[in-house]
Amino acid sequence: MSLDIHAGELLAVVGENGAGKSSLMNVLYGLYHPDSGEVSVEGRPERFKSPRDAIARGIGMVHQHFMLVPTLTVAENVVLGREPTRWGRLDLERAVREVADTCARFGFTLDPRARVDTLTVGSQQKVEIVKALHRGARVLILDEPTAVLTPQEADELGRVMKDLVRAGRTVVLISHKLKEVLGVADRVAVMRRGRLVAEVRASETTADRLAALMVGDAPRAVTDEPAPTGQAPGEVLVEAKGLHALGDNHCPALRGLDLTVRAGEIVGIAGVDGNGQRELAEVLTGLRRLTAGQGTLLGGPLAGLTPAKARERGVGHVPEDRLRRAVVKAMSVEENVALGRHAQPPFARGPWIDFAGRRERTRELLAAYDVRPPEPTLALQAMSGGNQQKVVVARELDARPRLLVVVQPTRGLDIGAVAQVHARLREARRQGAGVVLVSLDLEEVLALADRVYVLFEGRVTGEFTRPDYDERELGRRMLGAERAHG
Amino acid sequence: MVERARQALPSVLSVALSLLVCWLLIAFTRDEGGFVTATSAYLQMLWGGIGDWPNFLGGAPATVLTRPIGEAAMKAALLTLTGLSVAVAFKVGLFNIGAQGQMLLGALAAAVVGAHVQLPAALHIPAALVGAALAGAAWAGLAAALRLYRGVHEVISTIMLNWVALRLVDNWLVVGPLRGVAEAGASITGTAEIHPTAALPRLLGDVSRLNLGFPLAMLAALAVWAWLERTRSGFETRAVGLGDEAARAAGIPVARRAGLAMALAGALAGCAGAVLVLGTEGRYPGTLGAPYGFDGIAISLIGNNHPLGVAAAALFFGALRAGGTRMQLLDVHKSFPELIQGLALLFVAGRLIWLAVLRRRRAVAPALATPTAPTPEAPRA
Repeated sequence: MSLDIHAGELLAVVGENGAGKSSLMNVLYGLYHPDSGEVSVEGRPERFKSPRDAIARGIGMVHQHFMLVPTLTVAENVVLGREPTRWGRLDLERAVREVADTCARFGFTLDPRARVDTLTVGSQQKVEIVKALHRGARVLILDEPTAVLTPQEADELGRVMKDLVRAGRTVVLISHKLKEVLGVADRVAVMRRGRLVAEVRASETTADRLAALMVGDAPRAVTDEPAPTGQAPGEVLVEAKGLHALGDNHCPALRGLDLTVRAGEIVGIAGVDGNGQRELAEVLTGLRRLTAGQGTLLGGPLAGLTPAKARERGVGHVPEDRLRRAVVKAMSVEENVALGRHAQPPFARGPWIDFAGRRERTRELLAAYDVRPPEPTLALQAMSGGNQQKVVVARELDARPRLLVVVQPTRGLDIGAVAQVHARLREARRQGAGVVLVSLDLEEVLALADRVYVLFEGRVTGEFTRPDYDERELGRRMLGAERAHG
Repeated sequence: MVERARQALPSVLSVALSLLVCWLLIAFTRDEGGFVTATSAYLQMLWGGIGDWPNFLGGAPATVLTRPIGEAAMKAALLTLTGLSVAVAFKVGLFNIGAQGQMLLGALAAAVVGAHVQLPAALHIPAALVGAALAGAAWAGLAAALRLYRGVHEVISTIMLNWVALRLVDNWLVVGPLRGVAEAGASITGTAEIHPTAALPRLLGDVSRLNLGFPLAMLAALAVWAWLERTRSGFETRAVGLGDEAARAAGIPVARRAGLAMALAGALAGCAGAVLVLGTEGRYPGTLGAPYGFDGIAISLIGNNHPLGVAAAALFFGALRAGGTRMQLLDVHKSFPELIQGLALLFVAGRLIWLAVLRRRRAVAPALATPTAPTPEAPRA
C-alpha cells in the first residue's frame, strides 16, 4: 500500500470499516510500526518510534475521541506536555498569550481561559486542532472528525479545514461520510482491504462512484432505501408524560419530556449530542431512574423499571457504548449471544448452561447476520467493531422484542453493515415492534423514522411526522427554537 | 484444550524460572560445591514432597512415601481452599486480600462448634464445617457490604478486617471468653479441645496428618469450577467480573452476584480454618500463625484464577513446602519454598506486563499484513 500526501492539499481517505484507514494513519503517526515499507516526510525516510517522533516531524493527529483534560483551560490543554516555564515554574500567562496567538493566526475563535468542560463538542475539537498546530503540525490527520458533531458544527469544521489548507497546511481527513468528503476535499483516496484502490480528484467523482469503489464488486445496496411505507401504527407501547431524570453529572438531563411510541413504528430521536437522548434511552431500558414524571411501558409502570423487568416485558436494547454496555468483550461470541437471555432456552436448561443449544443458536445467528468470522468460540474482542455490532443486533432482535431501543446503531460501521442494520430495524418494525432510534446522524434518523422527536435540553422541542421533514426547521429545533412556526 | 494449555504456560514458565533463580541463589551462597549442594537440596525437597522413592525402591518401608505425600497433601488442601477463596472473588471482579482474616474466623467457629456442641460424628463434622463457612462468609460479607453500600474499596476493607480478625480472635476471644478450661491446674493456651466426633478422620492412620480435608478441598475446587463454568449463576458471576455495566444492562443483579461471590470466597477461606482446626490442631491454638490466607493470593494468581489451576498450583507448592523442611539437612533454610512461591508470583505478575507488550507488537502485524483476517479494532491511544 502506498500513498502520497501532497503539501497544501486536503486529502480524504475513505474506506469501509476494517479497510485499514486507521491502521495507515496510526503508522503515519508513529503508533504502529510498519512490518515492511517506509514512511518518508519531505523526501526523507523516517522511522517513527512513537507519536513524539511524528510530532517532531510536523505530523499532528486529532483522534475521534478527544484527548483533553476536561477540568483544565483551553490554554493549559494546548501547552500540556511542553509548558512554557519561567524560573522552572509554569508560566501560565505566556501560555495564554501563545495560544491566543496561534488561534488568531489560523482564525479560530476560542477563549484560551475557558475550561474545556464548558465548551461544546465542536469547540473541543477545535482545541484539539489548535493543540496540533501549536506543536508545529504541518500535516494534520483528522480521524472521523464529524462523527460527534451537529450538521452546523460539521459545516463549520469544513470551513476550518479549508482555511487551514489555504494557510499552507496539509489536512488528511478520514471519513465514512462521502457527501461530506466531496464537499471539502481536493483529492480522495479510497481504501479497501488494506490496499489503496483509487485516488481521484473530488471534483471528478460522485458519491455513488466512491461508494462503489469502497465496497468493491460485492452487489450490496449502498443507496438510500425507499421511504418506509405508511402502515398504520398499532397499540401504544410507551406513553410518558413529564419525564425528569438526572444525568451522570447529577444535573437534570430530562426536564419534562413527553413521548409516545406505538407498535409498528420507528420513532426517531434527533438532537445535538448531550440534550438528553442518552438518558431517555436509559430510562426506557431501566438503566436510569426517573426523578419525576410518569408513564407506562409495555403494560407496566415506567417508574421503578429495572433492566431485568424491562427485558421481561420485552424491551430490546442496542446501547451506544457497545464495549461497555452491550457486550463483555473478554467473553466468547456465544457467551455474548446468551447474555441477558442466559436463563432461557436454548441457552439454559434449569440451572445449567445448555452448551449445545447455545452453540447451535449462535451459529444460526452468525450465519443469518453474516458475521465474520462465524466462530462461536472466538473472544468477542477479536472481532472488528462492525461485526461486534452485528452480534449485538442479532442478539437483541432474536429475542423478538416488542420495544427496541437503539442508540447510535451504526456509528463507526461500514456501508455494508449500516445497510444491514437498517434493514433489520425496518424488519423489526414490519413485524410489529416499536423502535426508538436515537442517533446523532440526522440523515439516518430521517431515512428510517416514521416520526421524529427533536430533543433540546431534555425536552421535546419539535415533533415531525413523515413525510413532513423539513431539515432546516429540524435544525432550528435542535438548537432550541420553540414551536413558534408550528 | 490447546487453548487451556496455552493459558497455563506463563504460570508454568514463571514457576520454572523461579526454581532456577532459587537454585542459583543456593549455589552462589555456598563457599564451595554450590551447585552440588543446590542440586541435592532440590532433590531432598522433591523426595520430601512426593515421597522418597529411591529409598523406597531400595527396600525402605512404605512410610517413606506416605509420610511426605501426606504432609504435602495436607498443606495443599489448605492452599487450595484459600486460593479458591481469592479466585472466586477475582471472578466477580473483587480482590479478596482478606482470606487470612476469614480463615481465622472460620477456625474459631470450627473450634467452638467442635468443642461446645455434642453431636454424632456424621453430623458433627458437617456442622463444624458449616459453622466455619458461615463465619468466614460473614466476615467477607462485611467487606462486600461496605463496598456495595458505602463504596469502600474491598482491598482496603479486607486488609483492615484481617487485623480486626487477628486482634478480635487471638488477643481477646481465645485468651478471654473462649479460653479452654485447664484440667487439674495445668494451664493451656487456646480454646478447649474439640470432641473426637468433630475431628476430621486421618486418611493414613498415624503416619501423617493427612485427613479428610484434602479430598474435601479437591472436591471444592471441582465444585467451584463446575459452578463457574457450567451454571447460569456462575455465568452471571463471570459476566459481572468481566463487564459489570454490560451485566447490569443485561438484567443481571450485579450487587447480589458480587455479594454472593464474596460470601462464597469467605466461606472457602473459613473452611481452610476449619480444616486446620479439625484436622491438625484439634483446637484453636494460642495463636494461629499459619499465613495460608495470604498464600492464597499467590496460589490464585499462579493458578491463573482458575479453580483447577488453583488446585494444581496448591498441589505443587504444597509438595514444595512439605519438602522444604528436608532442605535443612543440607543447611539450606526451609523458607526457600516460600521464596520460590514469592518469585513465581512476581514473574506471573510480570507476565501481565510481558503479555501486554507482546499483544501490542502483535496488533501491528495483522492490521497491515493480512487485512482480510479479522483484525482487532485499532486502539484509540
